[in-house]
Amino acid sequence: MEGEKQGSPRELTNFTAKKKMKSKRYFDEAGHEGKVEEYTVDVDTFLKEQRKERKKKIKELKTARQEETKSRKNRHILKKKNKQETDVRKKVDPYPGDAPISKKKLQKYGRGEKLDTRGMKTKYHQDTFSRKEQRVKEAVRQAARSEFLLSEEQGYLEADEGEETSQITQHDMSSAVDITSAQKYFELELNQFGPYRMNYTRNGRFLLIAGRKGHVAAMDWQTKKLMCEMNVMETAQDVKWLHIETMFAVAQKQWTYIYDNQGIELHCLKALDCVLRMEFLPYHFLLASANAKGYLSYLDVSIGQKVAGFQTHLGRLDVMCQNPHNAIIHLGHAGGTVSLWSPNVKEPLVKMLCHGGGVRSVAVNNKGVYMATSGVDRYLKIWDMRMFKPLQNYRISAGAGHLAFSQKDVLAAGIGNVVEVYQDCCRHTMTKPYLSHRLRSPVANLQFCPYEDVLGVGHGNGFSSLLVPGAGEANYDALETNPYQTKQQRRQAEVKMLLEKIQPDMISLDTGALGKIDTKTLQEKIEERNKLLFLKPQKIDFEPKYKMKGKSKGKKHIQRKKGVMEQEKKETIRKIVQLRQEDKREKLKNDKRYFGPKSVLDRFKKKSEAT
Amino acid sequence: MKVKVLSRNPDDFRRETKRDIQKLPRNYDPALHPFEAPREYTRALNATKLERVFAKPFLGSLDGHRDGVHCMCKHPTSLSLLLSGSYDGEIRLWNLPKRKCVRAVAAHEGYVRGMCYNPSGDYFYSCGDDKIIKQWSMEEPGYGEHMQPTNTILGKTIFHAMDHHWQDNVFATAGQQMDIWDEERSEPMRSFTWGVDSLNSVKFNPIETHILGATASDRSIILYDMRGSAPLRKVILKLRSNTIAWNPMEAFMFTAANEDYNLYSFDMRRLDRPLNIHMDHVSAVLDVDYSPTGKEFVSGSYDKSIRIFPVDKGHSREVYHTKRMQRVICVKWSSDNKYLLSGSDEMNIRVWKARASEKIGVLRPREKEAFAYSEKLKEKFSHHPQVRRISRHRHVPKMIYNASKEIREIKASRKRKEANRRAHSKPGTVPFVPERKKHVVGEVK
Repeated sequence: MEGEKQGSPRELTNFTAKKKMKSKRYFDEAGHEGKVEEYTVDVDTFLKEQRKERKKKIKELKTARQEETKSRKNRHILKKKNKQETDVRKKVDPYPGDAPISKKKLQKYGRGEKLDTRGMKTKYHQDTFSRKEQRVKEAVRQAARSEFLLSEEQGYLEADEGEETSQITQHDMSSAVDITSAQKYFELELNQFGPYRMNYTRNGRFLLIAGRKGHVAAMDWQTKKLMCEMNVMETAQDVKWLHIETMFAVAQKQWTYIYDNQGIELHCLKALDCVLRMEFLPYHFLLASANAKGYLSYLDVSIGQKVAGFQTHLGRLDVMCQNPHNAIIHLGHAGGTVSLWSPNVKEPLVKMLCHGGGVRSVAVNNKGVYMATSGVDRYLKIWDMRMFKPLQNYRISAGAGHLAFSQKDVLAAGIGNVVEVYQDCCRHTMTKPYLSHRLRSPVANLQFCPYEDVLGVGHGNGFSSLLVPGAGEANYDALETNPYQTKQQRRQAEVKMLLEKIQPDMISLDTGALGKIDTKTLQEKIEERNKLLFLKPQKIDFEPKYKMKGKSKGKKHIQRKKGVMEQEKKETIRKIVQLRQEDKREKLKNDKRYFGPKSVLDRFKKKSEAT
Repeated sequence: MKVKVLSRNPDDFRRETKRDIQKLPRNYDPALHPFEAPREYTRALNATKLERVFAKPFLGSLDGHRDGVHCMCKHPTSLSLLLSGSYDGEIRLWNLPKRKCVRAVAAHEGYVRGMCYNPSGDYFYSCGDDKIIKQWSMEEPGYGEHMQPTNTILGKTIFHAMDHHWQDNVFATAGQQMDIWDEERSEPMRSFTWGVDSLNSVKFNPIETHILGATASDRSIILYDMRGSAPLRKVILKLRSNTIAWNPMEAFMFTAANEDYNLYSFDMRRLDRPLNIHMDHVSAVLDVDYSPTGKEFVSGSYDKSIRIFPVDKGHSREVYHTKRMQRVICVKWSSDNKYLLSGSDEMNIRVWKARASEKIGVLRPREKEAFAYSEKLKEKFSHHPQVRRISRHRHVPKMIYNASKEIREIKASRKRKEANRRAHSKPGTVPFVPERKKHVVGEVK
């Protein structure tokens, strides 16, 4: 019989059972080569034995299967393939589960640190918040995983060995790239109307240029289709698109005007006079303008009303940029300071002394982390806007007159009639420019085209569009800005934008403040404590009522009056003392150095140890 | 030199044909989505405002009764049928989607006190002030024939309410005593009395089907087990409860509508204190009914308003009223959790939406998504003062507004008085009594 092994106690009992001999059974076995052997077995014990054997077999099978699966798993880890054993049914995914996501990516899509539920009062709150946290984590993971779906790749430029990227000319590049990209390198020769200011729409499709001597033109710069062209017959200081490509503002000599894309004058904004620089805050529908008399004003273009205006008392304001992350306006001044403004505060939020001489240009990157400034002292400085500290300090031969950040933090600087482009100049100290291009006239304005590897340069002789590989964001979000927007979509998007207009009073340095818990600030706490310290019993004017005859004589009257006043005073003083004591106790409790009540023996401790 | 410049093929980003939908590639990079918090806040604020703009809860009224509506009864299986009985003894059967009366019969002399369907909804019972229980078939009477009761039972005493067992062919009536009737017999199977003169409502528990609850005019709420010979226990409140409603999801929970303007949610196992007190009405609460989800209930009050309370909240989330609606005698929450029905003194039955600003009808997936998103935003920013103010604001009739102000003042004054008394007496002599214990006189087993 199978599995009959000498030595195991179970088999032994069966062996003894054999001797009982109640009924006789014949059966042959393969192991005995056809021989018929006679076994005498007790029926009950036989059945028992069978059952046992069946169990044993099942057990063996199970262990075998387990081992098999184990070995299969091991095989997956080692990525070995044994062709003989592969069975179609047994085939398992060699990379089970979701593809792993790197920590860096998760960090990119994350929304700050995880909430610590340990300090919460009840289990209920702990559970609800940990569940919420789980959901947030899953959302971040999903967002990070969606990166696989992005279709476009970022641009790049690599030089051959022994060659620098800055030696590569625009001509070289445009002849090396495809024809549609090559068409993005072009020059508009406009000699008559003097240095040009320019502006791209938020989706990067349309371009607006304005010559100092009044020439204004709007165009679809990729198809080179002109939308309108006119001369405003006045000095045009600056030009900006409003929220969509059907309207733009031109800062002219006296007032600021709004035109539509056919060049028809829609509004004359007399509230904005002598404007030198404008910035449009698209999410707030605010047109911020700085004028020659040092006046900064905010105009809500959706309702046509001035929201705020301040006299900065900082002289002529011709250096201006916005922080696209928090809609704060940065102004550069002749004294070398840069001031940060919001429409809610009359004074600058921050005033930084950035340069020894006057500030010539300011630019802030897309995430609002880095600010680049250049001054008359010929320095180019990079600042960390989270700490308001300098990060890099570059000395540039002639000093940069104009600066611009691209979506991917590539910095362009206009130095005389040379445009230099720097890559990765914020976190690391760069030693040489990424690209450089010489124009025939001095640079007047710079802007990177959003979602394209293109740098627009307005200069004395017109406008040139340069190729800067790696400058633009490759993948746009169609619900935010869409370069391939149809008219219908544009209309819909405008309505949505208007509905979601952020009120100007929400502009602050910390944009996330709305989503945070409102904890008391230190200043508020100090004020509260001060209030407590300087509490005084109030003076009361108590005039006792006249009572029965004889009881309201002069002396008694005054006694009663004084008595009540004294009592009131005592009461309030007692209350104040109590409050102060409580405050003290609270303070002691929160003090880390406090280890309980003082003992008599504390006097023998060393001074440093003692509380 | 190796160079790559961004160049997109427009065909990849535009729709192919005019019948196609537009392509909308997404990129969830936070750098491309600035002002997250302010924008979400603005959206939440807009959503809250829109919610109030679209809050039009009144759908229509069913008129036809010639006297005030005293009781209503939902059909157990059909959403479209409703029974109503009025003060003049008339019973009407309504088709809710058509808002039309299907049948009307003068069933009783005097009030129709109670009505109930059998579990399958083939027939229903009614009882009235004439001490008669009548059984009516749901089948349409023949042409030219009048609706006739299929069975009539003459009772000895007046009946104030009745309810049917949720599974068996057994129903209960409440009057001088609690009677349990077998449908086959004309005598009650069992009668319960517990030293009170009269019961004014009875409800079967929908889960523990042999348990019933009743309210009595001696201010008590009594629980019975149909299988036992004596009532289980009762709780006596400071004022009389008008009706109770069992939570259809949690077998132990019920809510009582009380004369003292409040509703009390009890756990059947611990009657010494209510789980929650629901305050907001400014007059006696006359009826209460649970939503089929068991998360909310509706109450109708003598102050001419309907309120919706979440089970776990002390205050109502919604109040409905109209200029013409008088004292609300009976309320029902429809079985599809979407509508409310209220029967009032001025002979009308009104149909309301359970969620005032909900869009009725089939929602397209994008609509559904948008609603879900705005719901989540509203929840996220619900504690911001502006959002909270808008979502909480309800216009109420002057009478209710003034009355609630008065009640608020009364409460404040009582609190002040208690605090003063505590301050001026020996410490410990004026005990702190929790609000939930104040309203309960005692539990009797």
